Amino acid sequence: MNELIETLKQQVIEALNLEDLTPADIDADAPLFGEGLGLDSIDALELIMILEKDYGIKLQSPAQGKEIFKSIRTMAEFIQANRTR
Amino acid sequence: MNPSNLSNPIIVSGYGVVSAIGVGKEQTLASLREHRSGIAPVQYLATVHRDMLVGEVKLSFDELMERVGVPSDAEAPQSRTALIGRLALREALQQAALTTPDDYARTALISGTTVGGMDRTEIEASVTPDGQIVHYNYDCGTSTLDIARGFGQFAFVDTISTACSSAANAIGMAVELVRQGHFERVVAGGSEGLSRLHLNGFNTLMILDQQPCRPFDAQRNGINLGEGAAYLVIESEASALRRGVKPLAVVRGFGNACDAYHQTASSPDGEGAVLAMRRALDDAHLQPSDITYINCHGTGTPNNDVSELNALHRVFGDVLPPFSSTKGFTGHTTSASGSIEAAFCLLALQHHFLPVNLNFQTPIDHDYPVLPNAAEQVIPLSRGRRGGLLLNSFAFGGNDSSLILSPYTEPQTPQTLQTPQTPPQAASPQTPTRKVYLLAQTLLAPSVDPNFRDYLAPLESRRFDKLLKRTLCCSLETLRQYPDLVPDAIITATVWGSAISAISFFHDMMRQGEAFLKPTLFMQSTHNTMSSLIAIQTHNHGYNNTHSQLSDSLPHALLDAWLQMQSGRVHSALVGIHDSIPAFDNRSYLLVTADALPPDCHPLAEFTSYSELALLAVKNG
Repeated sequence: MNELIETLKQQVIEALNLEDLTPADIDADAPLFGEGLGLDSIDALELIMILEKDYGIKLQSPAQGKEIFKSIRTMAEFIQANRTR
Repeated sequence: MNPSNLSNPIIVSGYGVVSAIGVGKEQTLASLREHRSGIAPVQYLATVHRDMLVGEVKLSFDELMERVGVPSDAEAPQSRTALIGRLALREALQQAALTTPDDYARTALISGTTVGGMDRTEIEASVTPDGQIVHYNYDCGTSTLDIARGFGQFAFVDTISTACSSAANAIGMAVELVRQGHFERVVAGGSEGLSRLHLNGFNTLMILDQQPCRPFDAQRNGINLGEGAAYLVIESEASALRRGVKPLAVVRGFGNACDAYHQTASSPDGEGAVLAMRRALDDAHLQPSDITYINCHGTGTPNNDVSELNALHRVFGDVLPPFSSTKGFTGHTTSASGSIEAAFCLLALQHHFLPVNLNFQTPIDHDYPVLPNAAEQVIPLSRGRRGGLLLNSFAFGGNDSSLILSPYTEPQTPQTLQTPQTPPQAASPQTPTRKVYLLAQTLLAPSVDPNFRDYLAPLESRRFDKLLKRTLCCSLETLRQYPDLVPDAIITATVWGSAISAISFFHDMMRQGEAFLKPTLFMQSTHNTMSSLIAIQTHNHGYNNTHSQLSDSLPHALLDAWLQMQSGRVHSALVGIHDSIPAFDNRSYLLVTADALPPDCHPLAEFTSYSELALLAVKNG
């Protein structure tokens, strides 16, 4: 699980072009949207693309992302339970 | 306000329309009245998404070539955008009795497009054995020239590229050019052929409905993309009567505003939409109660429709006039939608019916019980000279435009009938010229690398490409020189727009196929990303426009600023030219009229005519 969390942090930094951040700067339990990193709906689409491309999980609607992307940890838990690759 | 709006109305003397529901007005009218949608699985576009529902023009490439009359061995490559554009333009010009090279030479052409000849680029592009992608870019301005080429030399050619509101903004510019006497008549509209690039782009945004789109329905789940073209011949009533051409309707008012909220989402309260509608009503000298029908933007996305409804209630109150979205017929025809839907409104006015809102079943759970017009209604759309139809056309970057069309009643300037003299080539402006001053300018040479951190927080800039960052630095630097001055208009000139993003997206698509593409690249690939970004960063709800006409882009942007300032609605404008390929300077100018000059300022230059102002482009070019 911890390994997946570290991988995800790196993938999120790359996909969202958060060039000033390192994985150590991201708290696995901090909210990704709103108060925390302050991401928005386009970032959510990029995260959905990570799920699809790297873990073989296809979401039907962006609305599903709301629960999944609460934090890096919730994202990792969802991937662990649903990954097809 | 210019009283000449009323005494010499701007009218439509011809129009042409091509979309999924028909080639020409006759087929289009029949489809609208018989509730026949043109949305179907992909038939012509070479995409892997075969089951995707789209609104294609029901003609293959070869059939289009034949209809247009282009010899199959013609040297110049053709795009669907150019071919359907020519079909619509021909119908418009013929109805307005403009058929000779001399007629065209006295007519300006303004066309809206965003993907331009992308469909052709996709057909021709190839990948070399070592993975290089070879392709030619058909920029927006060239695409419009391809449309014009079929007729001859027009007096003036301009391309507006503000994504889905492009055609509406082309009509808005046309109205101002005619009102202020720059051209006797202008044919304006837009054309957009379906491309894999924007089909996949919208797919990455997860807003394509797998079922027929359901605007304003509680279960709506996104858009179906469409394609098409439409053009309106716009001239003064006096000019039409002098030529013996029957005015068909009055273009009563136009308004544009920037939502300044987000590159792809509309604000929850629809601020930009509210301002666009109010500006159009002001321009038309009409009250909300004068509006008898609204052709909504109504794309069918969860976000647009609820934001637009909120905006409608803010303008019209609890009880809305009859309204519908016609996107269930055509799909979202993106850059052409403003003129295609204007053509639908013109048909509605002439044939006394309200276009229905297809696929509507359940109202959105809303504070007010509102229902779009779901069944055929024959109602009097005209309230004499006070009636008007309102058309909404909204776009990425929150570029929101509204247009008001009114029935044409009777000759309102009978005196012109008695003076059938030679028409003026370019009539003199009807109001005294307002002087324009250059207050500040910034030239950012390609070799200069500004420190983005001085202008942007890292989180804000995370997804901007280099061009967007340079554009923002250059513009903010200009605005910093007069921090208390908030420009009423932001107007950008660009040939290639955010080509870095568009080409990256295109190359990804060529290499890896139509999957796993990046939404960030698509959402900033439109030409108006720059104007919008400046507005979003500075919370500017003013007039917002983008011109893309090769080396004329900057002169046309300056002309737009000049027209807006002469109209009296705009007192200050930030005009810039920003391009990525090839690497030119980024340039930005702050222009103001006398009433907006800050105290104790030292203007860099003053201009008493547009031709003087246009020298700005030459000087630095």
